[in-house]
Formats: sequence, C-alpha cells, structure tokens
Amino acid sequence: MYPPDDLDEYLRGDSALSCQYRRELAPTPPPALDARVLELSRPPGPYAARAAGGNAPCLAPLAFAASVLLSVALVLAIVFGPQRPKRSDDAPRVVRIAYSGDSKLARSPRAWLADIAALRRAGHNREADEELRRFRSAYPGYSIGDIP
Amino acid sequence: MLYCGAQFVPGALRAGNAYIQSMESLDEDARLMLRYRDGDADAFSALYARHKGPLYRYLLRQVRNAGAAADLFQEVWSRLIATRSRYEARAKFATYLFHIAHNCTMDFFRRDLRLHQHAASDAAHEHQISEPEVPEYQRPDAMAEFAEQRSALLASLHALPQEQREAFLLHEESGLTIEEIARVTQVGVETAKSRLRYAVRKLKKSLASREIIDAAPLRPQRV
Repeated sequence: MYPPDDLDEYLRGDSALSCQYRRELAPTPPPALDARVLELSRPPGPYAARAAGGNAPCLAPLAFAASVLLSVALVLAIVFGPQRPKRSDDAPRVVRIAYSGDSKLARSPRAWLADIAALRRAGHNREADEELRRFRSAYPGYSIGDIP
Repeated sequence: MLYCGAQFVPGALRAGNAYIQSMESLDEDARLMLRYRDGDADAFSALYARHKGPLYRYLLRQVRNAGAAADLFQEVWSRLIATRSRYEARAKFATYLFHIAHNCTMDFFRRDLRLHQHAASDAAHEHQISEPEVPEYQRPDAMAEFAEQRSALLASLHALPQEQREAFLLHEESGLTIEEIARVTQVGVETAKSRLRYAVRKLKKSLASREIIDAAPLRPQRV
C-alpha cells in the first residue's frame, strides 16, 4: 500500500507533480469554438429563449386571450353589426302565382265546349279534336249532344 | 440525468432573506451562473472565460481527440445553457459544470465502444481482422494531433486508467477536492481518494524514472 503522505503532499498543491503538470502546454478551445458557445448562450429571440428553457414570458395565456377576444368580436359583429338599409319593397309580399291547373277548373264545361266549337268554325279542326279529347277525358259522363 | 450537486430545486430560495443569505455564501462562479439564469448574458461570458480552459483540457486529455473534445466541449456548454432555468446554487459551480462534462464524456466512451464493437463484428464476419481493434482516438494517425503535447508527463497521464486520469484532471484543472471529485464522478469519497492516490503515485513513479521532475517555478494561473 502507498504511504498516505503521498496524497496529502499532493493535495497541498505545491508538489513537484503539480508544478510539472502546470508547466505543460495548456491548450484552450479554438476561437471558432468560443464564438459558437457564446452565440449559443445568447438566444436571438423569445422563441429561442423558451426552447432553451430561459426566462422569457410564456405566450400561451396571451394567445388564449387573443382567441377569446376575436371570437367574441366575430359574434358581436354578426349579431349587432351594420346591416343593409331596408327598402320599401322589402316587406313580405304575396307572391302571385299563375294558376296552371286543369282547364276543367278554369272553364265551365259549357264554355269549354263553346271554345271547341269556335275552333271548329275557324277551321282548326285538329286543335278542336285535341280539345275535345281533353274535354272528354275531363268530363267523361258529360252529354255533349249536338256539340261538334 | 444532470447533476444535482448544485441542486436543481425549482422554486427554492428564490426570494427573501434566505435567498440573500445563500447568495452571500456562494462562490463568484455560482453568482455569475445565477445572474445568467436570470437573463444576464454578460455573466455567461465571464463564467465561460473562467472555465473554458480547464474544461477543454479536461475533455481533450480524457478523450485524446481534438475533434471529439471540441464536440464534447460544445455539448457541455449547450446542456448548461439549456438547463440554466433550473439551476440552484447549492455547491461550487465547478462541480456542476464538471459533472455535466463527466456525463458527456461517459456517453462518448459508451458510443465509441459500441461503434468499435459493431465495426469489429462486421470485420470479423468478413474475416478481415488482422490485428486487434483500438479506439479511433488511440490510432497513430489520430495521435499525431497530440504531438505538441507529447511530454513525458502527458504520456504517463494517458497511460493511466480512465478513472484515475479523470480524478487527477479534475483536481489539477478545476481544483476540486476529493469530496467534490466523488460527487462529480458519482462514487464514494474513499473510491475517489483511492483513484487519485493511485494516479499520483503512478505519475510520480513514472516521472521519477524519467527524471523529469525538477524544481521549476509555477506558471501563472492558467485559464
């Protein structure tokens, strides 16, 4: 076993071994490495500071508040926002729709037969025949007598 | 896991009298680190200037490869910068810094060992091994970069087992006590003491045989 005073002498700091070690070359990091480390130590912005675990303020509450504010503003704009000026004809109006139902409801059988007779007299026999066919299908039991 | 020798205790002693008292008992480095933690970038520059030399030499003489030492050097400072917000000064700053360096160095040795195990396995599969594998940083070509450091003392230092070399470097470069070396290397005090004792004894014996120890005066404090 080694004598204990070897280490004690060395730990006092003035041993020949320490002197010899301190006479050796003392390499230091190259300047480029210095620059790189010092650059790392200075985060360029708040995001880098956060990534490095720095003391930059947390932006999450601010982002949340901004989101809430925008949402409320959007709802208010939709509900109470400016609207188009009302025109006088914007009031509800009754829409008149032309009746396009069967002609049997638009005309009486007698009037319809009179129209057919008029078509016949005017020489529009084909139209008169067509109208008569439609009349018979609409009023199958109607006695047309001497109707043409 | 990072060292807690400087005690990462979030929120502890950040204000009030307790904080002031703790500040008064801190070493200057710890004060600088606290200032840097609180946003003073200039404090880091001062801290870096104090420790860059010892840390670089510790890494260089541990891994014996200038490129790897530079990478590790940057990694150590990057970890310190990244975790600065959790720093709490409870011990000497150097123990905090060199514990990070110790962890980085151990990771390096583990990666290096795995790398060469894989390389050896591949080579054996191809029946191409003609001589024993040695770590990259011990190959003659890589060693050439240390030619300027080829002194008898450094040669003897490099011949030491890694744990003994580390104990010696921690004491010489950063002035750590045996207790602090034990904390940095995560071993018992007696183990750290034994490692340093063996290192000193072997170096003295080696240098005595070469008759290079003389009574030359000390150099000024290095940085």
